[in-house]
Amino acid sequence: MIQHLLRVSHVSKHFGGNVAVHDVSFAVDEKQIVGLIGPNGAGKTTLFNCITGFFPVTSGEVIFDIKKINDLRPDEVCRLGMARTWQRVKPLGSLSVLENVMVGAFSVTNKARQAEEIAIEQLKSMGLTDYASKSAGSLPIGLKKKLELARVLATHPKLLLLDEICGGLNHTETDAILDIIRTIRQRGATIVFIEHDMKAVTSICDRIVVLNSGEKLAEGTPEEITNNPDVIAAYLGGGHHA
Amino acid sequence: MKQITLVTILAAAAIALPLVIGENPYITGILISVLMMAALSSAWNILGGYAGQYSFGHAAYFGAGAYTTMILLTNYSTLNPLICIAVGIIVASIIALITGSIVFRLRGHYFGLASIAVAEIVRLSVLNFDFTGGAQGILLSDVSLWGLDLNSKNPFYYGMLLVLVVTLGITAYLRTSKTGYYLQAIREDQDAASSLGINLSFYKNKSLLISAALTSVLGSLYGLYIRFIDTSAVLDLRLSIEIILTAIIGGVGTLWGPVVGAFLLVPLAEMLRSNLLGDALIKAGLVSETSALGIFLKENLAHAHVLVYGIITVLCILYLPKGILGLFRRAK
Amino acid sequence: MSFLQPLLSGILTGGVYALAGIGMSLVFGVMNISNFAHGDLMMLGMYLAYFAFTLLHIDPYLSLVLIIPTAFLFGYVLEKLFINRVINHPHQNQILLTIGLGLIMSNTALLAFTSDPKILTTSYSSSAFNLPGGISISVPLLLSFLITCVIIAILYIFLSKTTTGMALRATSQNREAAQLMGINVAKMSAIAFGLGTALAATAGALIAPTYYIHPLAGHSFLLKAFTICVLGGLGSVVGAGVGGIIIGVVEAMSSTYLSSDWKDVVVFVLFLAVLLFRPQGLFGKMGGQS
Repeated sequence: MIQHLLRVSHVSKHFGGNVAVHDVSFAVDEKQIVGLIGPNGAGKTTLFNCITGFFPVTSGEVIFDIKKINDLRPDEVCRLGMARTWQRVKPLGSLSVLENVMVGAFSVTNKARQAEEIAIEQLKSMGLTDYASKSAGSLPIGLKKKLELARVLATHPKLLLLDEICGGLNHTETDAILDIIRTIRQRGATIVFIEHDMKAVTSICDRIVVLNSGEKLAEGTPEEITNNPDVIAAYLGGGHHA
Repeated sequence: MKQITLVTILAAAAIALPLVIGENPYITGILISVLMMAALSSAWNILGGYAGQYSFGHAAYFGAGAYTTMILLTNYSTLNPLICIAVGIIVASIIALITGSIVFRLRGHYFGLASIAVAEIVRLSVLNFDFTGGAQGILLSDVSLWGLDLNSKNPFYYGMLLVLVVTLGITAYLRTSKTGYYLQAIREDQDAASSLGINLSFYKNKSLLISAALTSVLGSLYGLYIRFIDTSAVLDLRLSIEIILTAIIGGVGTLWGPVVGAFLLVPLAEMLRSNLLGDALIKAGLVSETSALGIFLKENLAHAHVLVYGIITVLCILYLPKGILGLFRRAK
Repeated sequence: MSFLQPLLSGILTGGVYALAGIGMSLVFGVMNISNFAHGDLMMLGMYLAYFAFTLLHIDPYLSLVLIIPTAFLFGYVLEKLFINRVINHPHQNQILLTIGLGLIMSNTALLAFTSDPKILTTSYSSSAFNLPGGISISVPLLLSFLITCVIIAILYIFLSKTTTGMALRATSQNREAAQLMGINVAKMSAIAFGLGTALAATAGALIAPTYYIHPLAGHSFLLKAFTICVLGGLGSVVGAGVGGIIIGVVEAMSSTYLSSDWKDVVVFVLFLAVLLFRPQGLFGKMGGQS
């Protein structure tokens, strides 16, 4: 069997009687960028929460780097090398931008000075150096998203899960973020990302997984997905404005 | 650099102060109370201010130190008080670990409520057991340590000062260390903190343990100093609230906030308690001593300090939620 | 001693606890605020009943007709002046504000009425029905319980049948959605706090004939009211009703079979156990607000 970096296998998540995710399987290989798309309420974020340890799965397995991580806490998952961002950004509001990124960097070092060096480096590559001493809560949304990315990259993840990192951004901001993602990829990172912006997804992903009503609808290359009639029906016919 | 100079000057002044005022037990007594509240509030601040976990039950740790010390000394009068303080820390840490394992799973309202419930269980148990002296409390006739004159207040002044300096030192160190950043991250957003690799319960418990241990040392010192304790003095919910209020007024989550708060609140409470305010009004001729208001002031103002605390709390939350230091903090 | 005796007095006392718990739960549900002044509002109810009896010679149960509207108005004004200003603040600020208000109330009472406990003695204060089997039912306790039932029934009808009541419940379920639907949530908050205050004061007035009335009397009820809310699931009115009865019975049982000194400890241990093992309450669905 081929060794994948992340393997999601028959994962289901129920909330009481509601089935949010049903029997979803897919795999991510190293250095791939995989897009996770689907209409609102398709279960994308719930799946992310299951993979990263925020929700326990109802059934199924999540395997990261040969290790079963179903029962791990989010912080353990992060220290194994899988890091995530949030759809609704979560800046540590009263800390400075630099300190936010330092918090991420502390997962790879115990020394404040080293953490600061890593953070300064990250801010530079993200073009946030000028804002280093600003309080994170005061940034506009576009910069908050960048900060979130810088912070999560400071944990030096092997696998990056991005939850609508372009959500709420205008075209220029979106392009800036996509550029950053391409750079990260060149450095050899593996990325799974949830996105609504169809153009963003197809322009950057190697493979796409489509969720609908909690179930996997299709999986394939961007070309296969854009031509898949089921996807078109569910995604566009579902009244979604991509 | 400026801070180091400031701290050196402050420390020197604090050390020299008793020599300047000489043998004035009244003033020294107030200063001891100020230092104790500053240290208590600073210790609470590590958990409440930095980790954002508002414990409403810190009296439990103060009482743990005080009761452990007093019970040990009543039973083994020759015991070195330092050993009592150490045992107090152990007892407080055990209570803290039990509390932590229960309350840190909870968030928001539940956390605050659970911390009160634990403290109330401790208080009621102490009240109901016999070996704790029950409602009568514990009276200690004599204490000795290295031949120090413990009837003088000065040793306790320096004792409280030492604990305050240690507490502030730990806080200052934490602020610039991984633990300090992690605690603040937890305060700001627990989910974000967790997703960045922070073990929430480990760091919450760590800050609770540090905070509880320091608080218990202060409780032990208080017991040795007053030589009488009962549940209303060392385990009351009111004490827990005074500790928080002191931090709020000065500035929660700042190094010096609790110290500023203590220097404002404790003397104010003392003025009310000793009725200096009422006397001053009467002496100034503003209120006649024999008038109804004068009699009311003389008889009642001494009981009004808790009322004043209540008023200050409300005003502070409504108009100064970041405390006095919050006013001066640079806008980032 | 018969097992039925503590069970019965527990249920009767529990009814009054339920009233206090429902008041707190209502405030929590609609406003998402833990009201730490709740016990002190109960204390005010006790004094109102006492003064209505001693000064105006009105029977404590009849005086409810005066106490309920007065307390409602007091709570409404309290919300408008103070509480609504922290409705979007962190929980700890809300808790501290209500603690501050509680301290002001209890210590003003201390100055005005002194710390000497007052006793409200009616002609029937110590009378009791004797049932076969050696069981006795205290008359004031029984009266309190019956009045409690009536008030809870009225409240239930109000919440389920009237427009205001339904708006209150809608706000409680989802504040933002309620606002979008055109419900004046600010007004609902004031009404909820007024109702909470009225219920607390009523509970206070109802226990006045059987308790010592003093300025700090509310404190022991505060944590009890919280325990009741948590048992029933914070924000659930029906849950709080059942929670009150449970607490009443647990207390009466632990007084009888353990010792009355430890009854509060038992209640708080129960409180922690529920928080740990069923944070959504005994009857609630998932709803542990974070």
